[in-house]
Amino acid sequence: MLKDLQEALLAGKKTEVEALVDKALAAGLPAARVLNEGLIVGMERLGIMFKNNEVFIPEVLVAARAMNAGLAKLEPLLVQAKVQPRGTVVIGTCKGDLHDIGKNLVAMMLRGNGYKIVDMGIDVSPEKFVEAARSSNASVVACSALLTTTMVQMKAVVEAVRAAGLKIPVVIGGAPVTRDYADQIKAQGYAPDAASAVEEVGRLLAA
Amino acid sequence: MGTMTPRELVAATLRFKHPSRVPRELWTLPWAEENHAAALAGIRARYPDDIVRPPAVLRRPLITHGEEYKPGVYVDEWGCRFENRQSGIIGEVKEPLLGDWKDWRSVRVPEERLTLDAARVDDFCRATDRFVLARPSIRPFEQLQFIRRPDNLYLDLADPPDGFYRLLERLHAFFMEEMELWASTAVDGLFFADDWGSQHSLLISPALWRRLFRPLYADYIAVARRHGKFIFMHSDGHIEAILPDLVEMGLDAVNAQLFCMDIEALGRRFAGRLTFWGEVDRQHLLPYGTPDDIRAAVRRVGRALWRDGGAIAQCEFGIGARPENVAAVFGAWDELLENP
Repeated sequence: MLKDLQEALLAGKKTEVEALVDKALAAGLPAARVLNEGLIVGMERLGIMFKNNEVFIPEVLVAARAMNAGLAKLEPLLVQAKVQPRGTVVIGTCKGDLHDIGKNLVAMMLRGNGYKIVDMGIDVSPEKFVEAARSSNASVVACSALLTTTMVQMKAVVEAVRAAGLKIPVVIGGAPVTRDYADQIKAQGYAPDAASAVEEVGRLLAA
Repeated sequence: MGTMTPRELVAATLRFKHPSRVPRELWTLPWAEENHAAALAGIRARYPDDIVRPPAVLRRPLITHGEEYKPGVYVDEWGCRFENRQSGIIGEVKEPLLGDWKDWRSVRVPEERLTLDAARVDDFCRATDRFVLARPSIRPFEQLQFIRRPDNLYLDLADPPDGFYRLLERLHAFFMEEMELWASTAVDGLFFADDWGSQHSLLISPALWRRLFRPLYADYIAVARRHGKFIFMHSDGHIEAILPDLVEMGLDAVNAQLFCMDIEALGRRFAGRLTFWGEVDRQHLLPYGTPDDIRAAVRRVGRALWRDGGAIAQCEFGIGARPENVAAVFGAWDELLENP
């Protein structure tokens, strides 16, 4: 049944995902197992397929939509069972940057992989990143930029997080961003695409 | 060969017929003018463009609001609303013009674009010895993104509703009319565009691209062929997967982000069959590299892609680019045929 759930998720079949989640719960499977072995494994598989150019943005978005529908059914039960998310990620685009397609894709992939997302939206100042990270007890700050001119704001985010005494990593990404640049500004993480962002956050939290 | 006009030079490049030098064209965003006016003027004086745009004088003006490259809101001739917070660049659509595909008929095509003063274009073409490239805003995929907002459109593409096909058909009919109109003038080349790549791959599957969009581009290319015009396309991102299709359809020149792709592999597959109309890496090299880096990059592109033609010295003086690097692009291309 959980395999079917993964397949429905990969096909982006929202109604089917909802029905299979209901079915799994009715069969007595704990919500955490439905999440971890059904939906999250499905999203992990999707991430690999995305990296391998077997699926593209439309397929990822419909799968994420199906994931969210399934998750909505599980959430009350997960809260009841005190199941914790893998971590909390505060995410946004840099100050001055309105381009959020990539950021939204990363947020969806992370949510689909069991992380709680605090989406700060676009044009987020370093102070706002810090404020949100502090108030949500975040495990990671993720920052995106499309423009070479706004990319420089990432350094300010890294510095602000450090100055606030938050011992959490900053992951950066976006078209002009490179691993070299991440190293240069001392950002702990860098992701060239949405699927890699999930891996990178996982790596940083496991470290 | 030494007396080739710029027009002849570009044509010889596109036909792989030994041009006397590599033709050039500088693209700029208003940001360059705002931040480096003197340097830009110097580059233009030293390396004049061989490719120019004709005047697009319309008998009925376009209906737009605001300024496209200024902070604030700009509404284009379709009614799409762009939000911008940075001077010198274009903004992003945050609110879709079309919220529900049921209302696809409500999208108004900007017919003003079809009121082109063709005689003015012809006069311009006759008066110049440079290669005249018409650049109407023919970009079906991007226009749909502006109409629907990009994230909505990507979801639509996973399972396109009937309204999607209807609107696409309508847009295409309009673009075809516009392409025919420009093709009837004395311009040397025609142009269409759509950004198809992310940094590492296509944005949608090649199969979906072939089903929905390839036929549209085939039609635009056919118009150019029928009228004896060269045909150019711009597409950002990693687009290697669709280049064979574009070559097969008869595209003459593509403006692509070469540095997102394996340039040597592009050379092995397409050199001598397709002209690469730039570019030099505007994401990393132009803003962060040195003139030496630029010269090395141009030599690399030249080695991979130049086959007695097949490359145009083009780059974008856009946001963050260093003027000395932009100048180095053209200097390096000039040296290429002198010191291969």
